[in-house]
Amino acid sequence: MSETISVEAFRLLLDRAGIRVKPESFEDMRNAYTLLQAMRERVRTSRGYDAEPAHIFTPADR
Amino acid sequence: MSAPLHFMTVAELAGAIAARTISPVELTKALIARVAALDGLTHAFIEVTADLALAQARKAEGEVMAGISRGPLHGVPVGLKDIIDLKGVRTTAHSHQLIDNWAKDDAAVTRKLKAAGAVILGKLATHEFAMGGPSFDLPFPPARNPWKLAHFTGGSSSGSGAAVAAGYVPAALGTDTGGSIRLPAAFCGIVGMKPTYGLVSRRGVLPLAQSLDHIGPMTWTVEDNALLMKVLAGHDPLDPASADRPDPAPEALLEAGVKGLRIGYVPSLGAQAEATEEVQSAVAGVAATLAGLGAVVEEVALPPLADFAACGLMILLSEAFAVHEPNIQARPELYGEILRDRLLLAGMIDASDYVQALRLRAELVAAVAQTMSRFDIMVCAATATPAPAITEVPKFGLFTKPPLTFPFNVTGMPALTMCCGFSAAGLPLSVQIAGHAFGEATIYRAAQAYEAATAWRARRPDLEAAGPASLAAE
Repeated sequence: MSETISVEAFRLLLDRAGIRVKPESFEDMRNAYTLLQAMRERVRTSRGYDAEPAHIFTPADR
Repeated sequence: MSAPLHFMTVAELAGAIAARTISPVELTKALIARVAALDGLTHAFIEVTADLALAQARKAEGEVMAGISRGPLHGVPVGLKDIIDLKGVRTTAHSHQLIDNWAKDDAAVTRKLKAAGAVILGKLATHEFAMGGPSFDLPFPPARNPWKLAHFTGGSSSGSGAAVAAGYVPAALGTDTGGSIRLPAAFCGIVGMKPTYGLVSRRGVLPLAQSLDHIGPMTWTVEDNALLMKVLAGHDPLDPASADRPDPAPEALLEAGVKGLRIGYVPSLGAQAEATEEVQSAVAGVAATLAGLGAVVEEVALPPLADFAACGLMILLSEAFAVHEPNIQARPELYGEILRDRLLLAGMIDASDYVQALRLRAELVAAVAQTMSRFDIMVCAATATPAPAITEVPKFGLFTKPPLTFPFNVTGMPALTMCCGFSAAGLPLSVQIAGHAFGEATIYRAAQAYEAATAWRARRPDLEAAGPASLAAE
């Protein structure tokens, strides 16, 4: 499980995204960020340089 | 006529309207009256478009009497999830953000329904922008489950699920980005189909996450669902994701039976979601029933549910944030708490996360395609539990309890959920049937065979017996 992000780092992420969090929600959101971090780690597996992102459809399916 | 008017199916109504034994105007009036009498309990409708519906019903009736037929939806009332545009009517997305958003045109699917002679009875409740709910701080209350009013309908097509189960409309449209057609269909005990990505146009429907968004029908029976899909499917050159394919003929195999059909049964998905014993037993019962009808059923596994969830959620949140970024920055107070907080979290995903999720998506699509090459359809659980209490749905449940529907949004494959029993508490249990891309007809084939072999369609919610007292008792 990911560690809870520091208050300073979380504020930085909020500022970068240009979003405000109500003071009463700040801790709730900071803890929820741990859930997002776990998802992030799951999609970041080892891949070769040539691993393609998915496209809407392969041409054969259009 | 075996069922009361409000519980008649699309197919039954079509036959009676064509035979002139049921009047579209009287039918529409009856359903409007039913909504007026009972929807104070269920909150399925945001707006009943009574004048428009009666005008459409009168037109349909005139055409029927003149011998003109527009097919099985002619004169049949249908509801629209309130992110689907209906010209001249508000599309609110159940949000203060769009409380005065009047649609200037019909969505492509609305246009198709109108051309088929359907009567649009109104706009139905949704989770806010198809992502935030069930919420109690929005301009309209959340829909409630007609089977037990204190319980969740599932979402985000919450009003669509409730309206069909309650007998307000025989059919409704929903949208599905992570399960938003199939989950309310499952919790409300009806049939919901997320078609193949690209089969049904998204034009005129508010986006949640464009690469995962689908529009599809929600009905009481499998046959009705196929009848609607027949109308909705088709290429739209104005939707960049629309597939230019031949008619999928979704209704073509309804009576073909399942003898020889190759079915991959995936109990491991439900197990990973910690599905209850009731759910797992009911889904195993579906596999056994289909095997008993002649299908060849083999147990099979898919990649981990957590991979689908991480991939789908990162893509969904990233694309949703891009849609909502200006508003979440400038006027966050106009969102309900649930959607606002989910979007705030979405704003912390960076571009590399998104692309890594897309790369994982390519890997998952390839893995599932390889497994599916041995089968015609797959069968697995639709949800891990019956509908929970409406007050017990966690804000970040998508992270902690990923829906079993997400894999098929990630792959774009068609998938349907339908009732396969009831819990000890009397809530519906549901199964999910997925198929090959553009293989809707085969899904309907299996679903119809299962429905015909079981008696679950004989049971309906008893909304007339429900009331504020029953809500308090729950």
